[in-house]
Amino acid sequence: MPIIEAHGLTKTYNPDKVPVHALRGVDLTVEKGEFTAIIGPSGSGKTTLLNIIGGLDRPTEGKIRVDGIDLSTLTDNQLIDFRQKNIGFVFQSYNLIPVLNVAENTEFVMLLQKRPKPERERRVEELLKAVGLEDKMDKRPSELSGGQQQRVAVARALAPKPSFILADEPTANLDSKSAFNLLDIMEQLNREEGITFIFSTHDSRVIERARRVLSLVDGEIAKDERR
Amino acid sequence: MLLKIAWRNIWRSKTRSFVVILSIAMGVWALAFILSFSLGMTYSYIENAIRDQWSHLQVHHPGFSEDKLVKYYISNADEVLDSLAGMPEVQAVTPRTIVSGMVSSSRGASGVEVVGVDPELETAVTHLESEIVEGGYFSQKRKSEIILSRRTAERLKVGLRNRVVVTFQNLDGTITSVAFRVVGLFSTGNMLFDEGRVFVKRKTLQSHLMSSENPSENPGEFIHEIAIFLHNTDELLPVKKRLQASFGNLQVQDYRELSPDIELYESQIQLSNTIMITIFMLALIFGIVNTMLMAVLERYRELGMLMAIGMNKPKVFAMVVLETLFLGMVAAPLGLGLGWLTVFLLKDNGIDLSAFAKGMERFGLDTVVYPLLSTELYLQIAVAVFVTALLASLYPALKAIRLRPVEALQKV
Ligand SMILES: Nc1ncnc2c1ncn2[C@@H]1O[C@H](COP(=O)(O)OP(=O)(O)OP(=O)(O)O)[C@@H](O)[C@H]1O
Ligand SMILES: [Mg+2]
Repeated sequence: MPIIEAHGLTKTYNPDKVPVHALRGVDLTVEKGEFTAIIGPSGSGKTTLLNIIGGLDRPTEGKIRVDGIDLSTLTDNQLIDFRQKNIGFVFQSYNLIPVLNVAENTEFVMLLQKRPKPERERRVEELLKAVGLEDKMDKRPSELSGGQQQRVAVARALAPKPSFILADEPTANLDSKSAFNLLDIMEQLNREEGITFIFSTHDSRVIERARRVLSLVDGEIAKDERR
Repeated sequence: MLLKIAWRNIWRSKTRSFVVILSIAMGVWALAFILSFSLGMTYSYIENAIRDQWSHLQVHHPGFSEDKLVKYYISNADEVLDSLAGMPEVQAVTPRTIVSGMVSSSRGASGVEVVGVDPELETAVTHLESEIVEGGYFSQKRKSEIILSRRTAERLKVGLRNRVVVTFQNLDGTITSVAFRVVGLFSTGNMLFDEGRVFVKRKTLQSHLMSSENPSENPGEFIHEIAIFLHNTDELLPVKKRLQASFGNLQVQDYRELSPDIELYESQIQLSNTIMITIFMLALIFGIVNTMLMAVLERYRELGMLMAIGMNKPKVFAMVVLETLFLGMVAAPLGLGLGWLTVFLLKDNGIDLSAFAKGMERFGLDTVVYPLLSTELYLQIAVAVFVTALLASLYPALKAIRLRPVEALQKV
């Protein structure tokens, strides 16, 4: 069973005044273990699509099922819990809680899920090692570089073992070295642990690393390449 | 975790938090001071009223409080006095013979309550002797001595050693006039009390009250009032209950029942305290709401991120509420500490209000106020701060959970 199934997704902003058709009928299926990039020019609807997949926003029309659950059947509050349990998020910036250190940020969602302490500690150590930040556990986000912060965000997103990770332009604020480093880590996690990543990007060097590339143009999928 | 985040969030914007904490602390300080001031005033007012006028308890014939007639004397006064002598809580007891009458001189007259006292017993209860400001107390030998208040003396235009005539009705209803010589002038500080009373020796007054028409009806003693002073005001209720149980035919009243103005005064003070606390809370609420709204708006994106990754609304709400409560919890002890310090520093000297409040003495208020802080006041203020912070946090917290993560995250 695919983890994401979307049918005829449309999204229209300002339907009454000046309608903006951000999505015009998107059909999409994502299987477990994919490493998928969503690309397209600015304003093509990448963020809108990711938000709908992630249950942060609702489509104007169309159906979206995540892990077999029709998101339109969930209330806003249920969606929050659904996101917490099933989806890991990495945003372009402002991912971390500034008053918590790296380890605390990483375990945050697990704490919300009331996971036992030994499990949390084990997982935090394991993940921070995987993203290469095991020596920065006690640092606050403000003491880290942008690339390090994004790596913590990936660790935080992975911690509760979600079915997939959504990342909206995770490398947009990074220099190319940090961007490649983050990509390396994501790729490695995908390859070795089978974690599903869906990320949007503008960056051609990032696009090259994806194994599936969805090109959005004007709110429609213009191309769906697998490599 | 929520506690940790909320606590640390306060210190993210140090200046802003300090300003709001300081303003809450100042408010608490001012409130603690004002309330302790009024508590000190109430306390001294009541203690003065007990000491100078009412004592803790008084026993009367049930008819006496309505009509101060000679015939309403306590027929079993001996038993009451015996029973009181056996109570360890009782510090002093004095019997009184009282009649309504008039005191007059060649230059004026004044309606008064003529109070016959046992010179020695009386002084242990009301300290009449120590309130004498001119002349002296009753002597051993002379019978017809009278002590007037200084105000009454002024009104009658008499001085020490002058004669005044006291007129009243005896048990038969016959109008009797007796001449007394002024030996002392007293002043309690309470004008109403001072003007309404003259003191003579009980034995003397009693002898003039006896009936001559029906001598067989005369009691051995005319005791209209037994005033009881306790070691400790806290023991009032048990003693009162015991007396009521033993002497069902008599009326036992405590100072509150005797003095309607004490109750009025206390309820006035309570009302004004409530108004103070309300004003204080209102003033603080706006400051806190403003600060917390800024804190929420400033963190819009972060809050959006938290809700996006799965922090639910109750938790976000609780976080904002906790942050606000923490501000109050830091500020309140600070303000209360300052309040305590102020009260402590004023403990010995008090605040002398004589320059501002000329009229206070007329109502039995001391012109020097010793502020008092009770545990109860501390609690009241702490609760007020807590409630204020809680109320003030609701709107910002609501604002926080109303945000939509998608929009919050897109804000630049
Ligand atoms: N909240 C909104 N209200 C109105 N229009 C919106 C809103 N959000 C997005 N849009 C519009 O919808 C279209 C798609 O926007 P979206 O953010 O999905 O594009 P994008 O591909 O992520 O662009 P970028 O590469 O610049 O991030 C754009 O034309 C945008 O202006
Ligand atoms: Mg975008």
